[in-house]
Amino acid sequence: MAEEYSAQAEKTSQKKKSAFSRRTWDMIAGYSFISPFYILFAVFGVFPIFFSFYLAFFRWDGLNPMEFVGFNNFVIIFNDPLFWKSIYNTVIIGLMGTAPQLVVALLLAFALNSVLLKYKGIFRLAIFLPYVTSIVAVAIVFSVIFSNQESGLANTFLGFFGVDPITWTRSEWGAKFAIAAMVFWRWVGYNTIIYLAGMQAIPNDLYEAAKMDGATVRQQIWHITIPMLKPFIIFSVFTATIGALQVFAEPHIFQGRGGRPEGITIVLYLYRDAFGSNFFGTASATAIVLFFIIIIFSSLNMYFTNRIGRSKKVEVK
Amino acid sequence: MKKFGLTTTLVFTTMVVAACGGGGDSTATQDNDGNVVADNEAEVTDLGSEDAEIELSFWLFGATGYPELAAEYVEENPDVSITFQEIDMEDHHNNLFTALSAGSGAPDMAAIEVSEIDGYKNAQDRFVNLYEMGADEIEGDYLDWVWEIGTDVEGDFLFGIPTDIGPTVMFYRADIFEEAGLPSEPEEVEALIQTWDDYRDAAQTVLDETGVVMAPNAETVYNAKRDQAPEQYFNESDELILEQSEFVKQAYDDTAQMIEDGYIGDYGMWTPEWGAAMDEGSYATLLAPAWMQGVIKGNAPDQENWRIAALPEGAGNWGGSWITVPSQTEHAEEAYEFLKWLLAPEQQLKAFENMGLFPSAPSVYEMPEFAEYTDEYFGGQNTAEVFANAALEVEHIHKGAQYGEVNTEILEGLNNVYDGIESEEEWEDILSRVQQRISR
Repeated sequence: MAEEYSAQAEKTSQKKKSAFSRRTWDMIAGYSFISPFYILFAVFGVFPIFFSFYLAFFRWDGLNPMEFVGFNNFVIIFNDPLFWKSIYNTVIIGLMGTAPQLVVALLLAFALNSVLLKYKGIFRLAIFLPYVTSIVAVAIVFSVIFSNQESGLANTFLGFFGVDPITWTRSEWGAKFAIAAMVFWRWVGYNTIIYLAGMQAIPNDLYEAAKMDGATVRQQIWHITIPMLKPFIIFSVFTATIGALQVFAEPHIFQGRGGRPEGITIVLYLYRDAFGSNFFGTASATAIVLFFIIIIFSSLNMYFTNRIGRSKKVEVK
Repeated sequence: MKKFGLTTTLVFTTMVVAACGGGGDSTATQDNDGNVVADNEAEVTDLGSEDAEIELSFWLFGATGYPELAAEYVEENPDVSITFQEIDMEDHHNNLFTALSAGSGAPDMAAIEVSEIDGYKNAQDRFVNLYEMGADEIEGDYLDWVWEIGTDVEGDFLFGIPTDIGPTVMFYRADIFEEAGLPSEPEEVEALIQTWDDYRDAAQTVLDETGVVMAPNAETVYNAKRDQAPEQYFNESDELILEQSEFVKQAYDDTAQMIEDGYIGDYGMWTPEWGAAMDEGSYATLLAPAWMQGVIKGNAPDQENWRIAALPEGAGNWGGSWITVPSQTEHAEEAYEFLKWLLAPEQQLKAFENMGLFPSAPSVYEMPEFAEYTDEYFGGQNTAEVFANAALEVEHIHKGAQYGEVNTEILEGLNNVYDGIESEEEWEDILSRVQQRISR
């Protein structure tokens, strides 16, 4: 009896053991299949993030031993007028570059979606094309357009209207305008295509019904397209905001390696400290401030974009 | 067994990802320590036999022609093989900095440019002291001021051996000088413009007669004046002396004055307009180093009016590199032996003939091939002589690790003066900006 019992127990335990080890094995296999990403992410993503938090409290030039300085790096950057200027510039350039861009992208998408348009493929391609260009090449071409010389393209054009030549790289609004223009030009097509994809998902019946009721094009956009596009708008506003807070290559090329006060952005400020001057401590402190700024802006975004849709619904009622 | 498979997969994946990391046109290469080095457009040259006992690696930037030169050395020394890696200057210094900071991955030999070298001088533990390799025996072959840039302040730690240098001269446009009614032959121009006052007088004449500015931008003029000062931004204990020292302020004031007088244009260095203007003749002079010859020829290949004269009141140095031996190397002696050969006067002459690298060893200046060197582009002028005279005039001035920080702020300030800000007001602002920067 007892023997039988123990034999059975052994059998079950054996069964259990093999079942367990098989599960473990599956688990190991599963994890190993996804591990390359996580290992790389840990090495190149997670570690740098935490190291940069750590570094923000040290003074370090990359070669000599690190020196703990407490909050001094934050004190230094908060006392630097250029730091605040870089935040201001980032916000202003962001607004100038992205707000009109999203509106224009919406209108372009609406036009591209129109049944009246022929050769849709060509137009879609043409509008999307700037997005695949190299950002550095864009910045160089725009530097030539917005040249400081009187004979530069932008200045010549302004000359037709009797406007005095502008020192684009060094004037307060000229620099911001030129940088915002690059951001606008490069990203408008991307957002257009996203909106276009959203619009094609809107059932045509809605428009037909609206037309039957005598709705104008403006009313169609306002009451059908925009509410139906809400998730796409949230997405593009979100990515555009984060992108705008990280504008870097455009001012970097347009104004030279270290930038200038008129166009320096937070990321360029950070880059200059870290890779221009080897001030890794203050650069990390700047990165942390940027991290919190992005969180704040993203939450604000979420709040406001959520409201767009809601107010529509109230109106419809 | 399974574990082994997993590891292999991982390693393989990592390598694929690493190889793709640099973008579409990247080439992944291996240095002699087996580290994967992925770089954009890195040019790698392997010299010597594969089973050579000593494998040296050498990181370079710019067009030096050293790999071609070194082929001879490897032939004579079959136990040594050398791998050259050449990329652009900024990437080169970034890679080197990362490798030195990380403590692994650095080559056996690496070039460091003059504007970067002072930043490494408080990190002696990262380099081999070449004096310990016996470099004092070749010290006499090089110009004193060039050699001193490669040493620490006390002069007992040698970071690198000099390659080429950039003695500064005055490039000028003979046609513009002629049009302004000024003499245009090099000897005459040198006689005419001996001091900065002469330079200003000529600038006034050129402006009145032709409407062309004398200099493309404030930077070149300020650089020339600054390099004539006996002290710069920091003293040898690396304390900021910008406020106390009158010399830099003088250079700043003089440049600001020339801006106000309208002698200086707004062709920022390296902008397309600056390059195009070399051909169009939008400025009369360019105060620049020897290597600018190549830039001018590139931007204005058909122009026949550029000539070269000495700078008023003395030359400075702009550019040049030192070859260092990072302390991570296992072959410091072999690396030093090779460098001793590569940078010896005979090879410097060849580098000059091949690539126009201006020699830092003055004995080359007396070699007939060099002394008789003329350049058709510059009207058949004996250009080498003008540069050699300039090189002999330069004196060593201590710069300090944060030299670049200060310099950037002053140049930005001069641009602001150009845009109409009062120069004294701007100077105060420069001082506070400099304080902000160097306190980090």
